[in-house]
Amino acid sequence: MAPSEHTVNAYGKDEKVKSLGRVLVTGGSGFLGHHIVALLDSRGACAQLSSLDLRPDANPINGVEYHQGDITDYDSMLKLFGKIKPDAVIHTASPAALNNNKSDLMYNVNVNGTKTLLRASQETGVKAFVYTSSASIIHDTISDLVNADETYPLIMGDAQPQYYSTTKAQAEVEVLAANRAPNYPKFLTAAIRPSAMFGEGDVQLLPPGLSAYYRGQTRFQIGDNENLFDFTEITNVAHAHHLALAALLATRDREDSGLAAPLDHERVDGEAFFITNDAPVYFFDFARMCWAAAGDKTQPNEVWVLSKEFGLTVATIMEWVYWAFRLGKPNLTTAQVKYTCMTRYYSIDKAKKRLGYRPVVKLEDGIRRGVKDALYRGVVVGQPPELKGKKMQ
Amino acid sequence: MVSATELAYYATHPTELRSIIQWKTWHNPVHERDEKKESPELKECFRQLGLTSRSFAAVIQELHPELLVPVTLFYLVLRGLDTIEDDMTIAIEEKEPLLRNFHEIIDDERWTYNGNGPHEKDRELLVKFDNITKEFVKIKEPYKVIIRDIAKRMGNGMADYAKNQDLEANGVRTIKDYELYCHYVAGLVGEGLTRLFVEAKLANPALLQRPELMESMGQFLQQTNIIRDIREDHEDKRYFWPKEVWSKYVPKFADLFLPENREKALHCQSEMILIALRRADECLFYMAGVKEQSVFNFVAIPQSMAIATLELCFQNYAMFERNIKITKGSACQLMLESTQNLQVVCDVFRRYARKIHRKNSPRDPSFLEISIACGKIERFIESIFPTQTARTLPRDANGAIARKKKEDEETKWDMIYIMIAVLAVLALISFLMIGAAYLAGARFDLAISALKKGNFFPPKNPQGVASLASQFEGVASSSLAAPNAGHSEL
Repeated sequence: MAPSEHTVNAYGKDEKVKSLGRVLVTGGSGFLGHHIVALLDSRGACAQLSSLDLRPDANPINGVEYHQGDITDYDSMLKLFGKIKPDAVIHTASPAALNNNKSDLMYNVNVNGTKTLLRASQETGVKAFVYTSSASIIHDTISDLVNADETYPLIMGDAQPQYYSTTKAQAEVEVLAANRAPNYPKFLTAAIRPSAMFGEGDVQLLPPGLSAYYRGQTRFQIGDNENLFDFTEITNVAHAHHLALAALLATRDREDSGLAAPLDHERVDGEAFFITNDAPVYFFDFARMCWAAAGDKTQPNEVWVLSKEFGLTVATIMEWVYWAFRLGKPNLTTAQVKYTCMTRYYSIDKAKKRLGYRPVVKLEDGIRRGVKDALYRGVVVGQPPELKGKKMQ
Repeated sequence: MVSATELAYYATHPTELRSIIQWKTWHNPVHERDEKKESPELKECFRQLGLTSRSFAAVIQELHPELLVPVTLFYLVLRGLDTIEDDMTIAIEEKEPLLRNFHEIIDDERWTYNGNGPHEKDRELLVKFDNITKEFVKIKEPYKVIIRDIAKRMGNGMADYAKNQDLEANGVRTIKDYELYCHYVAGLVGEGLTRLFVEAKLANPALLQRPELMESMGQFLQQTNIIRDIREDHEDKRYFWPKEVWSKYVPKFADLFLPENREKALHCQSEMILIALRRADECLFYMAGVKEQSVFNFVAIPQSMAIATLELCFQNYAMFERNIKITKGSACQLMLESTQNLQVVCDVFRRYARKIHRKNSPRDPSFLEISIACGKIERFIESIFPTQTARTLPRDANGAIARKKKEDEETKWDMIYIMIAVLAVLALISFLMIGAAYLAGARFDLAISALKKGNFFPPKNPQGVASLASQFEGVASSSLAAPNAGHSEL
């Protein structure tokens, strides 16, 4: 429904984008948040665009209002919301998933912070709230996920080894429960679940992947590389947030003008959506493409294929040795071996049908841009230092 | 018939030989022609079918009786058009009206044509074309309407191409032109066949609502042939590979065949294969709409052959040097697998998609797109034959981890029980053996004393045993068991 009403130009060259009104993006200085702010700004999609983060943005965008604040602090949030008066909120703020300690911080920001924002939004008349969830919340980190869709159950608590995923899932439950809540029946929410995000500004996926190239590991492959994996270019994730927000606001407009609520099979409010590049690839093919973009010339017949079992054995030994001699984190961990041999891809039919979502940046273009950017920023461990700050062709 | 190289090949590839034997022994046609009821003209039609087509003759003749004759005539009519179009000895002034009016010609029971050049291999088909037109008037009207319509559109398309001087001189320019050419020569065939199948109620009418599916069926086959026949077409000065693709790699088309451009030729080949491969999932989707076994076989066999041919060509430079084709053994294996059901054909597609993926090289400009195309085939198969759904997941909230923990716990206890059992059995056997030795008079005291002195190995000869015994005899008070050997020695 929404996509036809809101002409969203895929490439940002603005045709006629219906205004989203005043929009607040939390975590606007983060990887995804920055891209959402940049995309909405380039599309001229908002009457007023504000960003909220703990830190200032490294590359602030002209015309965007930047606020610093703590999303777990209800009083200051209520004050800020009262000042900005947002029509819509995109909530991306979350601590990085890098460490897996069962920390209070993780719970506090992801669950309590989300609850605080929901409350502040409801009390200040926000119409639509889009939450950045994660595709990992249905994954136990071990099993294969084959063409998984939104009917899969959430995996939390003891069944979920990643505490980060548990808190993301709990927050998603809160967000979707707030949709048309009895006290605020017009407040609409939706959740976006992206899988393995990468792109410009990325710290978690491309930089460590490229380090493997500079360590000379491109001649090794663990497993038979027949496992498909979904990766998502960051602009596409930002685009999906835009679509979801537009759809929620369109639903609200529709109901405000007295028309019937959307049918169940076209509903966006109260729903979660997987978002990917719609192009699952064999795990090592993604890695090889990144390495090739950085200059690797390895041919398939030069690659040593190690079995998953062998990889696990080596990783286990390395973990023990590194632990025993306090050497820190080894080059190969059992978790990495499991991920490289795992099938993990999703069906995004729901997002295609209900949001009208189609990726706007192709996987290959995204990899080229992302690799260039990571080397330019100099965030790849082991990269030739001269590449930092150097424009690559 | 069988050459020495073939013999050597099958001696070293027994699984392929097995497929040939299995196909020849066990394949039963779903339907068989009833030759007694056939008119002499129809018999001649089938003879022509056998002469003009190696690959389709067999599958067509096994078709459901309702469609056997219409499809045979459809094939021969299109073959007739092809024979006119292909023959460069026919002047364009004569060729064009023939092509454009062919859909009317087929209603003329006396029409024959001997204007083909003497070297045209299918010349005889047109010389005796009245056999075909005589049969054509006999088939049901709805089938005639479909065949006429396709013949008209294809004839006009071919006439446009034949008149196109630019094409003659420069070959196909854009990918769009290339696909349009494939549409005229193959996409239309797909449409005609689909309409015949639906008319005969042997396929799901929904196939007509999704025209891109039948288009892909034809495109996939035609593009595969165009890719594989590059060498032959080049020698005949026919250029079907679009300039839009090859110009990315070489300045002149003929440069593709130069040895120094080997890698560039392979990159160009990959891109051509990629364009075809992107259609594979729609071909599988189409086959899901076929309801009758003989029709399924008819559509599935060429499709399986096509994906196997793409795999054979991929990263294979031999394609630029000579004609290549899949071996007879592989062909028989594919026919066995394509005459069962959709799931088996899906397995074939997945198998070849993975083979292509394994040969894929990151140096190739199409590397990631090929990986995505292979992934798309796998994902499509997964969507029609899912191996995992939310309902197949463990129901309990704890999910797989809890189940795994429980399993681990169970295996741990299983392990402990097995160890206890093994130890118990070992203990019992040891007890029995030692007991038996004791009863038979073994001297453990001597053995233990020797061990204490550090003699871990038994003496090698009887003398050694005796001296050992005597050595300890003094210490041990008992002389009862003093071995006689020892005394005789003293």
